[in-house]
Amino acid sequence: MADKSFFIDTTKCTACRGCQIACKQWNKNPGTKTLQQGNHQNPADLSASTFKLVRFNEVEVPGGEPQWFFFPDQCRHCMSPPCKEVADEKAKGAIIHDEKTGAVIFNPKVKIKPGDFKEVREACPYDIPRISGAGIMAKCTMCFDRINEGMLPACVKTCPTGAMNFGDRKEILEKANKRLEEVKGTYKDAMLANTDDVRVIFLIVDDPKKYHKFAVADNTIGITRKMALKRLFQPLTSLRHMIG
Amino acid sequence: MTSMKITRRTFLKVSGATAAGTIMGGLGFDLSPAEVYAQELRIKGAKETTSICCYCSVGCGIIVHTDAKGKVINAEGDPDHPISEGALCAKGASSYQIAVNPHRLQKVLYRAPYSSTWKEVKWEWALEKIAANIKKSRDASFMEKNAAGQVVNRTNGIASVGSAAMDNEECWLYSKMLRALGLIYVEHQARI
Repeated sequence: MADKSFFIDTTKCTACRGCQIACKQWNKNPGTKTLQQGNHQNPADLSASTFKLVRFNEVEVPGGEPQWFFFPDQCRHCMSPPCKEVADEKAKGAIIHDEKTGAVIFNPKVKIKPGDFKEVREACPYDIPRISGAGIMAKCTMCFDRINEGMLPACVKTCPTGAMNFGDRKEILEKANKRLEEVKGTYKDAMLANTDDVRVIFLIVDDPKKYHKFAVADNTIGITRKMALKRLFQPLTSLRHMIG
Repeated sequence: MTSMKITRRTFLKVSGATAAGTIMGGLGFDLSPAEVYAQELRIKGAKETTSICCYCSVGCGIIVHTDAKGKVINAEGDPDHPISEGALCAKGASSYQIAVNPHRLQKVLYRAPYSSTWKEVKWEWALEKIAANIKKSRDASFMEKNAAGQVVNRTNGIASVGSAAMDNEECWLYSKMLRALGLIYVEHQARI
């Protein structure tokens, strides 16, 4: 199986939340009790039982019309996932990186301590990992069981507007770049988010922060630097393991 | 080194440079994803039945998966359906819960006038009660002629609201029944 990727075209997203519900349904995740947050987003955040969440962000422009940004958030299935780096040290086998598809999978059989989980979550530039009360980490699985049977992930299959796309990475990249060229005329700030680093490529047309605090990875996340330094020293620690 | 500014970009470069080290660090020990997700596709071998979403007038196609015992185990968009081509909105995507949902009512509940509590009743009793109430209201409000003396034969005391969940033929039958009773307040919530 070829390397897989998503392309999420936010210009086509109407925030119908079909993806969010299809994800819940396929993964048999229960509903969560929520409170009115003052906007249309529901639930308020991702959780161990909500792997996919359409974020609604209202932005007030002084003197202008208020703007509304929709962001169907999910795990980006990084090319080299920082969460796995941390987990490998803290809870062996808790996170797996599938070589064929590139899916980053949290092992539901491996428990992790709350303190260790905190580090895993902080390592994620997109703030995706969540933990259940039983100490099991959870997030988007790329519908691993479905894609291995040649089926589309539940969120992609259900999308009525074509905002969610999935396929072989090469084709997805072509599709994403083609669409970027198309929308550039209308939206001068259009961009593809972290294309080279992740397998879930978002097309956004404004300042990423207007969509979501963690829409695009940058160096403002403190742990990123810590992680990078840790990686730098990793060959040494590995060597120590081998000797010791 | 600590003064080196590491951006997300350089961070990824660093990770590339240390990839060899990481592989050695793992010593080739890694659980295969197949082990983690050893379970089969949960709809493998399930019976597939096509259906139409009951929620709005778009009428998207749904495939309902049932197990050997006939229990609904999954429902998702039908890619071969000409209207929706496999797509479903949030309501359609939740249609599995029409069949499987512990919060659904299993029995008819009745709250008597001025009562503050619900009690369980039988279907037969409920249908009789509805029929009796319709008769009572119709008899009381039926109008043969209007103020101008024209024949109208209408029932002003009853209104009907709904239902988008009905198909074309059901709508025809339902409308026919309401007109026969003399209703003029017939409203159909055709979308959402």
